[in-house]
Amino acid sequence: MTSSEVSYTNRKIISEDLSNVEFDTSEDVEVIPTFDSMGLRDELLRGIYTYGFEKPSAIQQRSIQPIVKGRDVIAQAQSGTGKTATFSISILQSLDTTLRETQVLILSPTRELATQIQKVILALGDFMNVQCHACIGGTNLGEDIRKLDYGQHVVSGTPGRVFDMIRRRVLRTRSIKMLVLDEADEMLNKGFKEQIYDVYRYLPPATQVVLISATLPHEILEMTSKFMTDPIRILVKRDELTLEGIKQFFVAVEREEWKFDTLCDLYDTLTITQAVIFCNTKRKVDWLTQKMQEANFTVSSMHGDMPQKERDNIMKEFRSGQSRVLITTDVWARGIDVQQVSLVINYDLPNNRELYIHRIGRSGRFGRKGVAINFVKSDDIRILRDIEQYYSTQIDEMPMNVADLI
Amino acid sequence: MNDQPTKKILFNKSTLLSLKAELLKKQEEVLEKKHLPKHNLELFKPAHRSAESESKSENKTSTTSFKDKLKAVDVEEYEACRKAKQVLEKKAELYKHLEDGAGDSQLAGHFLVDFKSKKQETASRPEPEPEEEIQAPFEEDQGDWIEFTDFLGRTRKCLKSDLDYYKRRDEQLMKMVTNESNYQDSSASDAQSSQNTTEKPFLVQKTNDYLQLLREKWEKKEQELLGKDEDIHYQDLLFDEARIHGVGYFAFSTDETERRKQMDELLKRREETLKAQKLAEETRRKRDELIAARVAAARARQRIRAGLPPEDPEEKKKEFTTCLLKFLTEKRDEADKKAKEEEKKAREEQEKERQKLRDAYVREWDIGKEGNEDKPKKFREMTQEEYVEQQRAKRIDEFAPVKSSNSVNSTNEFDTQGRRLNSNTDTVKVKTWSDVRRVEAPAPPVIGDISDASQKGLYFSTKKNEAILKYKNFVKAQEPVPINNELSDDEVSGNTRPKPDKRKDGEEYVEIEPPATYDYYGPIPKNRKLDKPFNSDLREAMAQGNKSLERKESSRKLPEHYDFTFD
Repeated sequence: MTSSEVSYTNRKIISEDLSNVEFDTSEDVEVIPTFDSMGLRDELLRGIYTYGFEKPSAIQQRSIQPIVKGRDVIAQAQSGTGKTATFSISILQSLDTTLRETQVLILSPTRELATQIQKVILALGDFMNVQCHACIGGTNLGEDIRKLDYGQHVVSGTPGRVFDMIRRRVLRTRSIKMLVLDEADEMLNKGFKEQIYDVYRYLPPATQVVLISATLPHEILEMTSKFMTDPIRILVKRDELTLEGIKQFFVAVEREEWKFDTLCDLYDTLTITQAVIFCNTKRKVDWLTQKMQEANFTVSSMHGDMPQKERDNIMKEFRSGQSRVLITTDVWARGIDVQQVSLVINYDLPNNRELYIHRIGRSGRFGRKGVAINFVKSDDIRILRDIEQYYSTQIDEMPMNVADLI
Repeated sequence: MNDQPTKKILFNKSTLLSLKAELLKKQEEVLEKKHLPKHNLELFKPAHRSAESESKSENKTSTTSFKDKLKAVDVEEYEACRKAKQVLEKKAELYKHLEDGAGDSQLAGHFLVDFKSKKQETASRPEPEPEEEIQAPFEEDQGDWIEFTDFLGRTRKCLKSDLDYYKRRDEQLMKMVTNESNYQDSSASDAQSSQNTTEKPFLVQKTNDYLQLLREKWEKKEQELLGKDEDIHYQDLLFDEARIHGVGYFAFSTDETERRKQMDELLKRREETLKAQKLAEETRRKRDELIAARVAAARARQRIRAGLPPEDPEEKKKEFTTCLLKFLTEKRDEADKKAKEEEKKAREEQEKERQKLRDAYVREWDIGKEGNEDKPKKFREMTQEEYVEQQRAKRIDEFAPVKSSNSVNSTNEFDTQGRRLNSNTDTVKVKTWSDVRRVEAPAPPVIGDISDASQKGLYFSTKKNEAILKYKNFVKAQEPVPINNELSDDEVSGNTRPKPDKRKDGEEYVEIEPPATYDYYGPIPKNRKLDKPFNSDLREAMAQGNKSLERKESSRKLPEHYDFTFD
């Protein structure tokens, strides 16, 4: 009876609706417990050890191998567990340093992060004579062109300037074999997605794509098939996304004005090592900075409306430890790595759950201890409880001895 | 009177232009300083100014006035003030000199002001008092009062007769102040309070100076980097970063040739170390061998002395067991290896298959790129329905045709086998035999709740649910029912025999006695055995179970020559 099969044949799978599909870590992910057994080149191994890595972190044990093999990879890991190093090592392993052309393109959402990645690539590849250029906005175009003409193996940049350079044919894409999107969920969000698409259109077809972030919401995972081929996924369940080493607290304040007094009271604690204070707007950053300085507290501040030169200087001061307290916006929330930061204050609660993870992740870098303090008004407590529940974590009221935890 | 000026002021276009350029430059500088953010170091001032402005508000006066006192001394400002004063004084002196000399001076030619003519102009005017000028005496009732300005710039009043005395006192004060080069005297009145405040701004000043120095250093370094037409290395970008590196870290020179030298040296050392390590290892091994031989010889000698036979047979025995052990382990390893290899092979094959699929896959974002032209065939062509479906998905709901009552539940869902889920929601539908069969309500389908929005997002579970495909606007075709028994009068019973593939969900069906057909009453073929319900024959069920267990066991197969005795 063939007629019974007819009804089945016209049921073709049309477009897969993935909103109900659960994405899981791929099954065939191999775990390699040491750097030595990864089969990396000698010079690279030396770079890894001199940079301070001894044993690969969980994400490094799992992701380096598939990336080196040329597979498309979606890698998620907790903040400060060596994601940047993961793709940097993989990139360096798969580079041909004798070919002086751009082979890898790394895109990240902020200029500071792009510069930091450049630094990591150069550090890990110090013995390989690798050339990496930070192609970011706010810098001299002519210099950018000159540096690219000089020949760079790796380009780490922000989408706008990179696209500009590609369009000017200064950044030649024919040898590019890998595209890395750091902070991938941010890069594929509404604001950036089109820019990423623009850049992607200039890359050779089927270029290897690597997505990396601490947070990968479902919507992002859904759309990856548009520019990735059968990717290997290394994911983290959201109840495992907060780090044990970062203790989270809140201070309840009745009125907004009291936040400032609380911050002043905490100032001595802030300066034990280094601290980052997050506000939700640039104006508030300016206001808070001015108020703190008027009260004779030494603080520095940074946000996206400052001239790039000033931003650079503030970063250098903070990285060198000359300034200890930094008031900033979410421009600093993702990826920036300063080892000595052990305290993060959310002067305002972040606007979404993902940002919370990224902000508190500025402290507790690579196994260090960290403390996050949230200033909450009474109506904010609900939001905080939501975050707490969402990540199955614990946010207690701040104890008196908070300084001992840093 | 000399009519001829001592020096003609010559100017042409170029001087005017350069003057204008200078002016523009200054203006730009001023503008730039204005636009710099407040916390710029150059503009950094302790906040007493704003505190002053705040003091206007009455309720705060008591506290802020105290604060003002504390902050009254601003080193930076004071320093600048003093400097300006000094320069002005020097200038005044020079002017005086020039005016006195009036052209006789050798310096006269250097200045644009013509002092000679100036002197002539001012000659008629009375000379102002140089330092302390006595104002025109007030012609008041107390005519003998006089006003004068003292060294500190204060206007004071005194009796005419006392003027000389006060002047002398003023001079004394002036001497005292100028001798004391420090600025502290100005705040002498509130000495106790200034003591600790002068310290803090001083510290601030120091750190600010240091920061400024660092910034300048970084700026210089950056300029160098921009100018550098060589490779850029990690050291170039470090900018005094406080970072802990690994134990093997070495800060290379930023100079290229020096760096190369250091790198070569490092490599050389490394090779030497490796060589030395190897050598040490070898010598240790040799020494151990030597010691072992010596110990064996000593023992043999002892045995000879004791009259015992040499050790050989025992050793041989030992050797035999080790040999056996070795042999067995080898065998086991071999077997393991073989199994692993097979697995690897299978996996590789699978991987190859997948790679083929991957190569054939065309990403949505890649469509239309240059390199993709040679494989346009591999791009999956949409069927008409797929296209319609896609277009429908894009359509704004408001423009969709009015939903009729029977299209309310137009989302039909299927699992991967193509079976419909939620089929019981289709209310308006011609019933088929397959529906009639269902007496019990079917179990709810295993699906993630679609309507639950909170499920969306970063939610992962280890449990793997069945994949569900959703079709919008799917028109459910009537399922044709095979006619099995046309001749029978009893139509209902003719189709109730469950299909073998529906066995899994057996509890959904009610057991109905078998139909009276040839299939049932006729001779039972051997392959029909499986169709019998299990509970009809306990023994058969047992046999089935055993069989499946056996199959499972055998799938974990061991190699034929596996040595069980070993483990």
